[in-house]
Amino acid sequence: MRGSRADPGAKPSSAAAEEDDVVRVANQPIMIRLKHVVFGAVGLPVVILLGAWIGFFNVGASSGHWKVTAWFLQLAMRSAVRTYALAVDAPKTLDSRGLPAAAGHFARGCAICHGEPGELRSPAVMRMLPQPPDLALTVGDWTDAQLFRIVKHGIRFTGMPAWPARDRDDEVWAMVAFLRELPKLDANGFRELALDGSQPTAPAALADCTRCHGGNGEGRGGLVPALAGQKEAYLLASLQAYARGDRTSGFMALPVTGVDPSDLAALARHFAALPPSPVDPDRASAEVIGRGRQIAEAGIPERNVPACSGCHIGSDKNPLYPRLDGQHAAYLERQLKLFRSETRGGTRFWRIMATAAQRLTDDDITAVSAFFSKRSEAPQ
Amino acid sequence: MSANTGLLVGCAFWFLAKGSCWAAAEELGHQRTEVVKPPIASVSLAAPQFSNVAAPQDPPGGGLSLFLRNGCGACHTIRGTDAHGTIGPDLSHLGSRTAIGAGILPNTEEAIARFIARPDLLKPGVKMPAFDMLPQIEIRMIARYLKALQ
Ligand code: HEC
Ligand code: HEC
Ligand code: HEC
Ligand code: HEC
Repeated sequence: MRGSRADPGAKPSSAAAEEDDVVRVANQPIMIRLKHVVFGAVGLPVVILLGAWIGFFNVGASSGHWKVTAWFLQLAMRSAVRTYALAVDAPKTLDSRGLPAAAGHFARGCAICHGEPGELRSPAVMRMLPQPPDLALTVGDWTDAQLFRIVKHGIRFTGMPAWPARDRDDEVWAMVAFLRELPKLDANGFRELALDGSQPTAPAALADCTRCHGGNGEGRGGLVPALAGQKEAYLLASLQAYARGDRTSGFMALPVTGVDPSDLAALARHFAALPPSPVDPDRASAEVIGRGRQIAEAGIPERNVPACSGCHIGSDKNPLYPRLDGQHAAYLERQLKLFRSETRGGTRFWRIMATAAQRLTDDDITAVSAFFSKRSEAPQ
Repeated sequence: MSANTGLLVGCAFWFLAKGSCWAAAEELGHQRTEVVKPPIASVSLAAPQFSNVAAPQDPPGGGLSLFLRNGCGACHTIRGTDAHGTIGPDLSHLGSRTAIGAGILPNTEEAIARFIARPDLLKPGVKMPAFDMLPQIEIRMIARYLKALQ
């Protein structure tokens, strides 16, 4: 800066006067800059607020963002996802058992914005700002943890919604596993995974259910429960619990919203009347199943685990205590872990079950689930 | 004029600050509501709704069948019945005891019913879950049956 050369004491007087001028001239811009700063700090917010109040800023989406705004928003979004994903603990391998449920949810909850294989999207969605990307093309840009973060929390100011149930990370991981499959799916592959070739004759509400629960109520994939032959009162009370939010599941939140209460009753009746579907091919060893039977019939007295049979076996039990026979082992395990961590609500009886599950270890849960999934209604 | 400017500036700052407060509050709020558990009160309020389904088509000795049907037998034994549980005390001769709940309550039908509905209120840390979602009349019938066990 020129002003810094001024050193009056060391120069002849005429030169000093000249230098003095220089200093004054050099100082002036600084004064003005200070004024700028003050004006900026106080005035600019006022001007912006005034501009917004008058309606100066165009919030129309037709013309898109300015290049610089679009660049900044993308930068902020990507950086935030990258940073927040550092705290996410990703499993080493993604569990593929939840794929049918995740695909079924994608078809109804995500495809409307992101499109699905072999379907053209509505022109209205293509004009959203920002435009929802075709995920088959973009998932490769993200790690599992980053996808988890996006799907669980959504993206502010873009329309990208958060997961409908906040305490169900297991479901979000199922969706991440599905997003990884998405680029490999063509229209047929997607329809098979997501829609189970739904019967076109079924009423709309029922067709929605069979996407995940199957045309015979058998439950597609290990993590969607079989409904066929389940107690009607329990099915209805569970549907009401999902609708009220007393039992949280992102997969079930969408299907029960907007369904008429009398339709829920009809759906419960429909599934309860279906014959129980054949049990899973058994993969557990006889030893594990034997241990499961022990827990089911006698409990684990030394750890205060009650006998499951006291509530779950026999036709004379409370109609709100569900049948477990022939249910998918993976589903039973998942539910028991949710009860144990008190993240599964349910009917007004759920607390009893939470007490019963409190002291089960992971091994107990595997064993007892294997036992019930192999058991059939006929007394053994 | 200057008062107006001051007001506007104030508004501007308030607006900016408030925005970030909202963001923070939103995050916090989400964390707090993470586990959705129906409060006990609403659970018991919902009770009558299903009483037609859950209503017993019982034989006259309905107390025992209600006892078994609601799963009390998973934790309690009553000799000569299907109740073989071992987590809670043997109730085979409950009626002849002088006190219940490990001695904290007098042995009356009324006290037994209160214990079944909310054991946690009477005895903090108890391992028996509350059964106050059962219709009051069913709890009464079970209590009457238990009191009669000599
Ligand atoms: C209402 C429309 C809408 C719905 C419904 C929706 N999204 Fe999005 N999603 C968006 C928009 C818009 C973006 C783009 C955000 C951006 O670019 O900043 C986005 C971005 C994403 C991204 C990041 C992609 C990328 O490369 O930038 C993922 C992953 C994603 N969504 C997954 C899902 C899943 C899974 C669902 C269903 C559970 C879903 N979305 C439902 C609108 C939607
Ligand atoms: C997107 C997939 C999907 C759709 C569509 C769906 N479900 Fe489900 N359903 C699930 C999953 C996954 C669960 C387990 C959720 C949990 O962990 O609580 C479930 C649970 C249930 C349960 C509780 C069963 C039990 O044993 O506790 C009932 C009842 C049920 N669904 C009925 C229905 C009905 C009726 C419909 C149609 C209106 C429907 N579902 C549509 C995936 C789906
Ligand atoms: C005192 C009665 C009681 C005992 C004992 C009991 N349960 Fe339960 N269980 C329930 C009730 C009630 C529900 C329904 C909870 C709800 O959704 O409101 C339930 C639900 C379940 C479910 C969820 C089923 C589904 O379709 O979602 C599983 C799994 C389960 N119990 C397993 C067990 C196992 C394993 C044991 C033994 C260790 C056991 N239960 C002991 C009362 C009991
Ligand atoms: C999960 C296991 C469990 C279930 C299910 C259960 N109880 Fe209990 N119960 C206990 C335990 C443990 C105690 C002992 C409480 C204490 O004194 O700390 C107890 C105590 C009692 C007592 C007091 C007994 C005494 O000696 O003072 C009565 C009465 C009773 N239970 C009745 C019932 C009835 C009726 C039901 C069914 C509606 C039931 N219990 C279901 C575990 C259970």
